[in-house]
Amino acid sequence: MGDAFQQVSGEMGELIESFFTTPIFGNSTVGFTVTTFWFLIACIIMLTVFFSYKKSMEGQLVPHGFLANGVEYLVEYVRDDVCKGNLGDTWKEHFPFLATLFFMVMFGDYVGMLPTWKAGTGTTGITGALALMSFLYFIVVGMKKKGVFGYIKSLAPTGLPAPIAAVVWVIEIFSTFLRLITLAVRLFCNMFAGHVAMGVFAIMTTTFIHNMLANLTPASMGLGAMSILWMVLLVLIYVVELLVAFIQAYIFTLLSAVYIQLAEAEGH
Amino acid sequence: MNVIGYGLCVIGAALGIGLASSAVANSMARQPEVQGRLFTVFILASAFIEALCLIGFVVAIM
Repeated sequence: MGDAFQQVSGEMGELIESFFTTPIFGNSTVGFTVTTFWFLIACIIMLTVFFSYKKSMEGQLVPHGFLANGVEYLVEYVRDDVCKGNLGDTWKEHFPFLATLFFMVMFGDYVGMLPTWKAGTGTTGITGALALMSFLYFIVVGMKKKGVFGYIKSLAPTGLPAPIAAVVWVIEIFSTFLRLITLAVRLFCNMFAGHVAMGVFAIMTTTFIHNMLANLTPASMGLGAMSILWMVLLVLIYVVELLVAFIQAYIFTLLSAVYIQLAEAEGH
Repeated sequence: MNVIGYGLCVIGAALGIGLASSAVANSMARQPEVQGRLFTVFILASAFIEALCLIGFVVAIM
């Protein structure tokens, strides 16, 4: 009984090790890593879905079938809920960018939900790149709208006495850069923690059953019966993770939209 | 030690999500017609809270 638990903790280390990205060629700074590969797969799947959507829509205006309706539903969800809900009049300008972000993150998340596949968004490198795009986008939007100095000045609210405005400005600069980090880390941590949780329950299920079959005693049979509970928990966590993958894509897009809206807003 | 630290971290996150969801449940009971908007706000708020907790988790096991 004791060595079953030891076995679990030994396999835990192996599991966590397997979630760190390893280079296929090059090194993990400059090179092609496992996570990059899965993100590439996610992008290919995404492009396939959209091109087959486009093909299925040729010569008709009303979508027919599962694919066309599904794609249309998601795109309209992003358009109405994220763009129109937050951006106001300029939503048309930013919709392509936000929809791209949404679908890239979503497909990157869902690729990892298939057994033995890995999440494309499971490393800080890729989530950082996505967050950096969103970060640069809202800064460029703000600078286009208000001018370079106008945007930098607009970070601090008007109508404050000079010393307080300076302090607020420094805090706002800091929090603007913090947005970049939190966007990247939130997505990475959600994917990483979710996969670790699923992996732990999978390991617990198999280890105890394996132990029971190898050595049939009342104690090991009790632990083996517990495996049913771990199995149920594994399925439950899997369902939650399916939800989380979508919610993370939604939150990533929603926050980008909110940041763009803040960058565009006239004096606050 | 790591596990204790993560436990402390979960206390904060649990309080935060508990407060947020109780407030949302209250407001939904008072004004059922704003359910859609409230859901968005709730998901956003819990994402912020949850992110802190998950950062704690990742730091604890690394």
